[in-house]
Amino acid sequence: MYKNTGKYASIIPAIQRIYFEELGGHPGIKSRNFIVALPLQPQPPRFESMKTSISGLLLLSLTLSLGAAETPPIASSTPLLAPDGNANFRTWTNTTGKKVEASFRGIESGNIFLQTRDGYVYRLALDTLIPEDQKLAQSLKPEGLGIPKDPGLAQAAAIIDKGVLMGLTKAGQKPNPLASDEQFIRRVYLDLAGRIPTREEALAFINDTSSSKRASVIDTLINDDGFTSRMYNYMSDMLRVTDDAQKSKFFTYQEWLKQQIADNRPWNLVVREMMTADGKLLENGATGYLLRDRGMRLDNLSLTLSTFLGANVACAQCHDHPFADWTQRQFYEMAAFFGASDTYNNRKGGGALGMNLRNLREELGQQAFAQARRLMYANQLKIADGEKNDTTLPDDYKYVKDGKPGDAVAPKLISWTKEDHRLRCYQNVESALKKADDDSHLREVFADWMTSPDNPRFAMTISNRLWKLAFGVGIKEPVTDLDDPNASSNPALIHHLANEMVRLKFDLRAFMRLLCNTQTYQREAVTAELAMGQPFYFPGPILRRMTAEQAWDSCVTLAIGDKVDHFKMKRADTYAQVMNLGSAELSMEVLKEKLDAMQNMRQSSMFGDAPKGKGAKKKGKRAAMMREASATNNEEEDYSKPQMMGGLVLARASELRQPEREDHFLRMFGQSDRQIADSNSEEGSVPQVLMLMNGEAQEVLSSRQAMAVSAAEKQESAQGQVESLYLSFFSRKPTAEELKSIYEDINNGLKPGDLAWVLFNSREFVFVQ
Amino acid sequence: MNASFLAQNPMSRRAFAEQLAKASLGVTLLPHLVPAAETAPAVDPKTLPGFGRAKNVIWLQMIGGMSHIDTFDPKTGDSKGARDAIQTKAGYQLGGYLPTLAKDHSDKMAIIRSMTSKTGVHASGQYLMRTGYEQRGTIKHPVLGAWAQEILGKSSKTLPSSVCVNRGPEHGNGFFSAAFSPLPIHDPEAGLQYSQFAAGQEVMTKRLALLNKVDAGFRSKFQDTNLKAYSDFYDDTLKLLSSEDLNAFKLTDEKSDEREKYGMNKFGQGCMLARRLVERGVRFIEVTQGGWDMHNDVDDGMEENGTIIDTAISALLSDLKSRGLLENTMVVLCSEFGRGPKINSRNGRDHHPKVFSTMLAGGPVKGGTIYGSSDKEGSSVADKQTTIQDFHSTVGHAMGMDVNQIVMSPSNRPFTVGDKGEVIKDVLA
Repeated sequence: MYKNTGKYASIIPAIQRIYFEELGGHPGIKSRNFIVALPLQPQPPRFESMKTSISGLLLLSLTLSLGAAETPPIASSTPLLAPDGNANFRTWTNTTGKKVEASFRGIESGNIFLQTRDGYVYRLALDTLIPEDQKLAQSLKPEGLGIPKDPGLAQAAAIIDKGVLMGLTKAGQKPNPLASDEQFIRRVYLDLAGRIPTREEALAFINDTSSSKRASVIDTLINDDGFTSRMYNYMSDMLRVTDDAQKSKFFTYQEWLKQQIADNRPWNLVVREMMTADGKLLENGATGYLLRDRGMRLDNLSLTLSTFLGANVACAQCHDHPFADWTQRQFYEMAAFFGASDTYNNRKGGGALGMNLRNLREELGQQAFAQARRLMYANQLKIADGEKNDTTLPDDYKYVKDGKPGDAVAPKLISWTKEDHRLRCYQNVESALKKADDDSHLREVFADWMTSPDNPRFAMTISNRLWKLAFGVGIKEPVTDLDDPNASSNPALIHHLANEMVRLKFDLRAFMRLLCNTQTYQREAVTAELAMGQPFYFPGPILRRMTAEQAWDSCVTLAIGDKVDHFKMKRADTYAQVMNLGSAELSMEVLKEKLDAMQNMRQSSMFGDAPKGKGAKKKGKRAAMMREASATNNEEEDYSKPQMMGGLVLARASELRQPEREDHFLRMFGQSDRQIADSNSEEGSVPQVLMLMNGEAQEVLSSRQAMAVSAAEKQESAQGQVESLYLSFFSRKPTAEELKSIYEDINNGLKPGDLAWVLFNSREFVFVQ
Repeated sequence: MNASFLAQNPMSRRAFAEQLAKASLGVTLLPHLVPAAETAPAVDPKTLPGFGRAKNVIWLQMIGGMSHIDTFDPKTGDSKGARDAIQTKAGYQLGGYLPTLAKDHSDKMAIIRSMTSKTGVHASGQYLMRTGYEQRGTIKHPVLGAWAQEILGKSSKTLPSSVCVNRGPEHGNGFFSAAFSPLPIHDPEAGLQYSQFAAGQEVMTKRLALLNKVDAGFRSKFQDTNLKAYSDFYDDTLKLLSSEDLNAFKLTDEKSDEREKYGMNKFGQGCMLARRLVERGVRFIEVTQGGWDMHNDVDDGMEENGTIIDTAISALLSDLKSRGLLENTMVVLCSEFGRGPKINSRNGRDHHPKVFSTMLAGGPVKGGTIYGSSDKEGSSVADKQTTIQDFHSTVGHAMGMDVNQIVMSPSNRPFTVGDKGEVIKDVLA
């Protein structure tokens, strides 16, 4: 791990700073026994200097970018803090008499880990130090977060911490203390795996004595399936992913998106593909983004701009923005980039038979006819580009200064500042538009600009979103409005994070890994009330209610343990195969074959349409119970079917209906209906609390079927039972006081299932500290 | 801040927006700020008729597109359906499927026959009818019950201020707090979901006591608004579950002939539930009735649905009247659009947003009024075109909300009750 490998290799030679001259080497060069580590940075990460007149900011950003280079590496009396705020430095000496000033991060396998003031962590063989220092190292308690996985990562994290610290200092605030292992493990599981740790996972971490355990668990989780689920849930809310849209199923889009996340494809490439995908939804899932809003080009664009670029243009769709500077004309000029793309494909898809489908009503009968229509709809979902952009100003266009209703609109980019036009991504668009013979490539031109590393907002928007995912609130809120990043609580930090996103080549896992390795992330959650309208400077993460998906996936974990990730919903291939008519001419014979295949598919539970009408719920429950019975008879574990309990399908939210039905736990706990972007809710309500107190989930979780309860019941002592449940639900052991008070109740006749109900209904369960 | 704020203050629009952003993590109320019409002085709503005289609203939403021609705007000639219209004492005619309303309640109802909209698709039409706003992918708009809770406060100590019957809670709180989301009653017969305690009383009491003890430390550690809100929801829920008011949801408390008066179906029983909720201080109750999408055999469909609503609404109006509740309870009936004048080849009628009807009764409503008209065929507006926004503004105004008051969403966009519609003064007294 401390090697010059992989994707970082190309950016390493830029390091020219000399730190360890006295020790006989410099970063990146293995010299004697010292310094094997290589920083990740092509240059000291710089907080971009502000294009702002806000005095002070400039100064602060200068301090940050120069601070590291100007700091004398060797013992100095300057009481300068390390980038992460660490103040406990001492001078270490090696056997040749060379010295370095650093703080102690821990010992592992005969190596000592020392962090210099610039945040960089060095690994040295312990026996190269003078005996006194070796002895001292054995007795010292490691500073900060322990041993990091990667020295460059540690430095990059330290620089973010420094940025946060500057914001805090300026506001006269102090960072929170570091979170306990118990707080950390629960938080990091929820943030990266999307669920709480099992009792065993929590215990293993708490009992681990290694100094590198925090960094290790982050690395494990970041590469796990759970992360794919977690990100997919986040993106499904952001992108309004639904099973049903345009009278069709969007399974291919869902699985395409999930695959991108699983493969950790760079974000800029994922988004670019969404913007430029061609062909049928059945054959190319990536077309789902545009086809989701088929026929609503303007709505789709409005979402594209706010979701990916934080451009707050929703108002400009219908009129000049009342407060911001966007005009309606600008909006239409952006829409013109999609003006040659046809998402309607009405007349194709079924050949002559498709055209005359109406006449088949008699022959097919009502039900089969309805299915035949579904078949046609699914095959009509397709994007193709014509040669001509057909965008015109709307019928009610009222700004005579620059056009009248019906005027043709040519594509033109928005910009945030006048200087933006000098950026390469703008220049490229200009030359591409000039060169083009027709309008058939407008989408590509747009997508190249939008997803370019030098687009002024693309990297910033996704980094601010991921920051919010880790800390509970964005540096700039709302995350869909980054028109003025300097109005954020920490402009230098938001610019820096955008640069980091580019440096990491839009690798979302690497970015989240970086955030989780900061001290800021690993601090205690804020206990004070966030005052309305007060900017938040991140003394630590905020207290968050679990998202609907985190809560549900945690319930499933409590019920079946780490088997939670076994079941994967796979529907796209079957659906596409059954529905796709291909290019062959459709005959009556083929149609009937297809209808039969559709019938078979519908009968399999995964595709079954939600039962409708009276008694549907009962019928559904009965069917579920039958499936449950047959599942328990089956001794062998069958991952092709999800486990069932109490009528609930125990699979990850990402492997259930998108979105779930409105009376499902997920929806009642705030899962978005996927009509509005980013609309998951973290608020309570009376119906929700009624469900938590009396609904199906508590029934399962307070019963012996639930793994958390059965594990507790296996404990012989009452104390052991309480401890076991606390670890399952809260990832911590109860305090002596808690034990005592609960013990009384157990003596009073309360069973483990009752305590499970209590813990499930506690605020400590649903709020993440 | 007042109407002249923008005109007088040299601050740029962007600076203004930023200041708002700083001042609001949640919604902000800006009374009487009228950005689009700085020149027109805001009218004091209290000087208009009917302001605040509807303490409660029962909102009857017909799902699928109710044929106006077969109900509240009967026609002769080719457009006419299977049944003849009925002449009422108030001087207007009603469709032949609504005999009881025609006979007993024509003096209580005001009918708007010049409603129009551009939305002919069910989902977005229903959204527009419920919220007064066009559906967008970027923001959710609140229904009137949520607006009222924001502007007028809670209407009951124990019960929620809004309830929706026969539908889920989507189209509810909009950009307001989830606490303003209507309490959904999926089936009036089944009552309030999950209101049965998970365990016997003794065990439940112990669990709750332990919950308080176990969670006390966590709750006192964090001064978080949402955390406190959760604790309040638990309190509210327990208060509700132990309250007499919970009986409002128990229709079995009513005598069976009383219940039959409303019709033993989800809509009829929903209307009865609405009456019981109004009696206990629930401000806004929506009851939906589906089955209006009559592309086929409109006569059959009308016979079924017409009878259901005729029976239920007649019983509701009679009951409200005899209990002295009609004075301050407004009953409104609406649908996402109407149905076309042309009977199609399957004896059905197709979607028709160009003109349709709504009905209002009770509270400040001027009974016996016909407002606006459609043309001879029932195809387009002939007089006094009325938008869904006007309809919303009228109901909102009657509930006591100033339709010019601007509320900023958390995303800093300005909204008003009824999206700048006009209060239809002629139907209010």
